[in-house]
Amino acid sequence: MTDLNNRCDELMAIVGPEHIRTGDGDVEQYAVDGMTPKAVVFPKDTQQVSDVVTCANLKSLAVIPFGSGTKMAAGHPPKRLDMVISTARLNRMVDVDTDNLTFTVEAGVKFRDIQARLATEEDRCYLPLEDLETETEAFICSERSHSGCFMPLDPPFATSATIGGILASNSTGPRRLLYGLPRDILTGIRFVTPDGAIVGTGGKTVKNVSGYDFSKLMIGSAGSLGVLCEMTLRLLPLPERMETILVSFDSFKNTSAFVEAILDAQLLPAAVEVMNKRAFEGFKNNKSDFVPGHYAVAVALETYGEAVDRMKLEMLGIAKDFEAEDSIVFSEDGHRLFWHSMGNLQASMADRFPGMITAKLNYQISDWKNIIQFTDDTLSSNLLEYTLLCHAGNGGCTINFLLDGDDTAASERAVSTIGLLLEQTCKANGNLVVQTAPTNLKKDLPLWGKPRFDFPVMERIKNQLDPKGIMSPGCFVGGL
Amino acid sequence: MEKPELIVRLKEIVGSEHVLSSDMDLELYSYDASLDRATPDAVVLPGSTEEVSKVVTLAYKEKIPFIGRGSGTNLTGGTIPIKGGIIIHFSRMNRILEIDIPNRTATVQPGVITLDLQTHVAKLGFIYAPDPASQKVSTLGGNFGENSGGPHCLKYGVTTNHILGAEVVLDDGTVIWTGGKAQNNPGYDLTGLLVGSEGTLVIATKLILKLIRAPEAVKTMLAIYNTIEDGANTVSAIIAEGIIPATLEMMDNKVIQAVEASVHAGYPLDAAAVLIIELDGMPDGMDKKAEKISEICNRHHVREIRLAKTESERAGLWAGRKGAFGAVARLRPSYMCCDGTVPRTRLPEALAKVMEVSKKYDVPIGNVFHAGDGNLHPLIMFDERDEEEKERVLKAGSEILKICADLGGTISGEHGVGIEKLKETRLIFCEQDLEFARQIKKAFDPMDLLNPGKMIPEPETTIKTMEF
Ligand SMILES: Cc1cc2nc3c(=O)[nH]c(=O)nc-3n(C[C@H](O)[C@H](O)[C@H](O)COP(=O)(O)OP(=O)(O)OC[C@H]3O[C@@H](n4cnc5c(N)ncnc54)[C@H](O)[C@@H]3O)c2cc1C
Repeated sequence: MTDLNNRCDELMAIVGPEHIRTGDGDVEQYAVDGMTPKAVVFPKDTQQVSDVVTCANLKSLAVIPFGSGTKMAAGHPPKRLDMVISTARLNRMVDVDTDNLTFTVEAGVKFRDIQARLATEEDRCYLPLEDLETETEAFICSERSHSGCFMPLDPPFATSATIGGILASNSTGPRRLLYGLPRDILTGIRFVTPDGAIVGTGGKTVKNVSGYDFSKLMIGSAGSLGVLCEMTLRLLPLPERMETILVSFDSFKNTSAFVEAILDAQLLPAAVEVMNKRAFEGFKNNKSDFVPGHYAVAVALETYGEAVDRMKLEMLGIAKDFEAEDSIVFSEDGHRLFWHSMGNLQASMADRFPGMITAKLNYQISDWKNIIQFTDDTLSSNLLEYTLLCHAGNGGCTINFLLDGDDTAASERAVSTIGLLLEQTCKANGNLVVQTAPTNLKKDLPLWGKPRFDFPVMERIKNQLDPKGIMSPGCFVGGL
Repeated sequence: MEKPELIVRLKEIVGSEHVLSSDMDLELYSYDASLDRATPDAVVLPGSTEEVSKVVTLAYKEKIPFIGRGSGTNLTGGTIPIKGGIIIHFSRMNRILEIDIPNRTATVQPGVITLDLQTHVAKLGFIYAPDPASQKVSTLGGNFGENSGGPHCLKYGVTTNHILGAEVVLDDGTVIWTGGKAQNNPGYDLTGLLVGSEGTLVIATKLILKLIRAPEAVKTMLAIYNTIEDGANTVSAIIAEGIIPATLEMMDNKVIQAVEASVHAGYPLDAAAVLIIELDGMPDGMDKKAEKISEICNRHHVREIRLAKTESERAGLWAGRKGAFGAVARLRPSYMCCDGTVPRTRLPEALAKVMEVSKKYDVPIGNVFHAGDGNLHPLIMFDERDEEEKERVLKAGSEILKICADLGGTISGEHGVGIEKLKETRLIFCEQDLEFARQIKKAFDPMDLLNPGKMIPEPETTIKTMEF
């Protein structure tokens, strides 16, 4: 603490006294797992981030980077925490080059602002713009490129998440089926290392093999290797047509038969998401009188009109073959709203269930049916309430355990079933990550799943790059 | 350890017939497809991961450098043993271990030839997308080492987008797995870091690759131009209109001439440039896309557009592109391929400047390249025996890379750094970037045994002391 006090003058000199907070009321909202930082610093650009980290490194102060805070509940509680570096002022769109289909932004820019910036003149956007505007404060820029492009990512928390946070946590959504993972669309990155150096690699070219690909290392590094400051990503033109088919089934047998059939057909859906009834009921804006059945499957179609028409026709036919309960099609606004609400499920559930635990499972694609059935059996027999969303073609699913926090017995049952789920995903060559959990349960949970063969190498990297252990100390995989 | 003893120990590990150490053998492994030369101390041909691990353990204990080698077709000196040591050649580890259709993966040993896997999975209705022009000879281990690209990478991405996991041998011989059949594992994306690391961080002994359903329909066309600018402008315009074809390949007149003299692809000899444009995916809406592309071509004064109507016509259009490097080799004894890359909007400018370099240094340059990715391949043709000419070629090459860097691009789109572009890394990286790379190298290989002297230049200070 005294170290920090001594350093505060220096920090103030770097960012200006108005951009550092130390008051109790100010720092509390930046607490991580109940641990409150002694200072929150708001650097205005990459150089200031570098100066701040250099300063912290000299005195071995523990630093955690902070975007909008939507994922700060993940990982182990920090071993120590002196300073939070907020990326809130790193909010410039540095280069919007829609002709080259790339754009460069600073880490604190919000995902929705990027999508809004890329909308067409008529405000056709990848996200439901009108809905977003009423939901939260104004967009940081009213300027539009009118290019009709979008950034091909659909992470959860689309309203508030920053691009830096999305990449640092490797946050993905259902439409990765068509568009790939953050690692596939990030072409360049600049970050500040634990010793304060500004390091960059890649850029505006879509191919680049001129050195080690650090960008891959930094994606998903969750603040353990440095502060992401600036990134260049690929864009795509907005699909000519965007529609959603939503079908429901009464049995898992028919659900899975439908899913397998459409994945085996030579069709190119953007997403195939299987959800349980509870998940469907949790979506906001859920105004339709659709009968969700036991399971519903949502298929996103985002491409040329002709291809959308054909897929719709074929898929609805297949749904009929497998005795779908109900089916409905959303287009454009309906489509955007639907996927947006799905992305917000975790956030809205967290508001209602203060004890919520969210687990993200990954496994090899072919095991998706086993995993869902196992989850359903295990969780229902443990009398747990949960929402389940499964990226069927990708080998991933997210489970929100709907716990109010007061029922400790239920929370304990949830904790023990998560252990069982982990065993199951490991058998399927996968793993499990706890994305949110009340701090008091964390010590009993496999927060980063089971360490794998490559852990010793991760340790070597962390120790090499951050020998003093100042970046998000203890929070990452294996307590790195 | 003395060399004879090293040979004995290696023979104990892999069997005496799988160690090469005669002067002639070593000579054969002293070069690759680049312009550099250096002789190794020994060459081993391991048959299994276990043998690789034992060889590496021995090298680690004895502090002997070691280098993985596939087919040696890399263009940047990646397999040249500039500090001597052991070459680990993967020609015997060339089995496809598993094709797992339900999980859409193939597991292979690193010595499998790229095209062999592609032919194998094509029969099952699948593709392995990265298709370097050298696919007939290059190995998947080499593709992993260089993060290779190819014509279809415009739509599908390069090697790194298609490698899900790898079994790798670390500096001390430990064998670990990174990634796996399931995507998105928690922790650092080591697979992503290792692809393209040119054998300087680990040796890969197994790879898990992503398979994709073969597209339902393919449409291939050839657009013929009277000026190279029109061709280049078409490329930028197609991307700017938001169309991403499967491929957008360009060849200029010099290459067209060479190609026609060797493979007779039917390109018009007087054309200034041709573009191969291929669309793939669902047939629905494809005609519309093709029409839009034709429109863009017309806007940029295309002379003629030919559409392949049959599979054999398609193969014909591609034959020229695939045979281009070989054809160019017939014009002059050697060529140097610079693989600088620019943002796609800067392509017309970049090409114009490359042609200025050709004039300035009086060296013939032919262009055959992945235009849609902005990935240039100016082939500077020369005679290696003419030292003075070679000197000019190297200068021209370096200048072209500088042009790319200055246009907001980079010095390599797919061939890597190796030793050939060490100096040029400074065009795009500052000392701090390079220092970070050195730290990564140190984390994996503190004794600098894995392919030493590649990819990362010596710190600037060392260079200065050497100069004094
Ligand atoms: C005519 C011609 C055309 C070409 N066209 C293209 C093209 O279109 N696109 C493209 O990207 N490249 C192209 N290349 C370059 C080259 O073919 C590629 O870089 C290819 O991937 C190299 O494969 P290889 O098996 O020959 O590897 P090598 O040259 O043997 O090795 C390449 C690198 O990988 C490392 N390595 C090899 N095996 C392993 C292993 N098991 N573990 C770890 N490291 C390993 C080596 O140490 C070396 O650094 C071309 C080359 C030629 C000669």
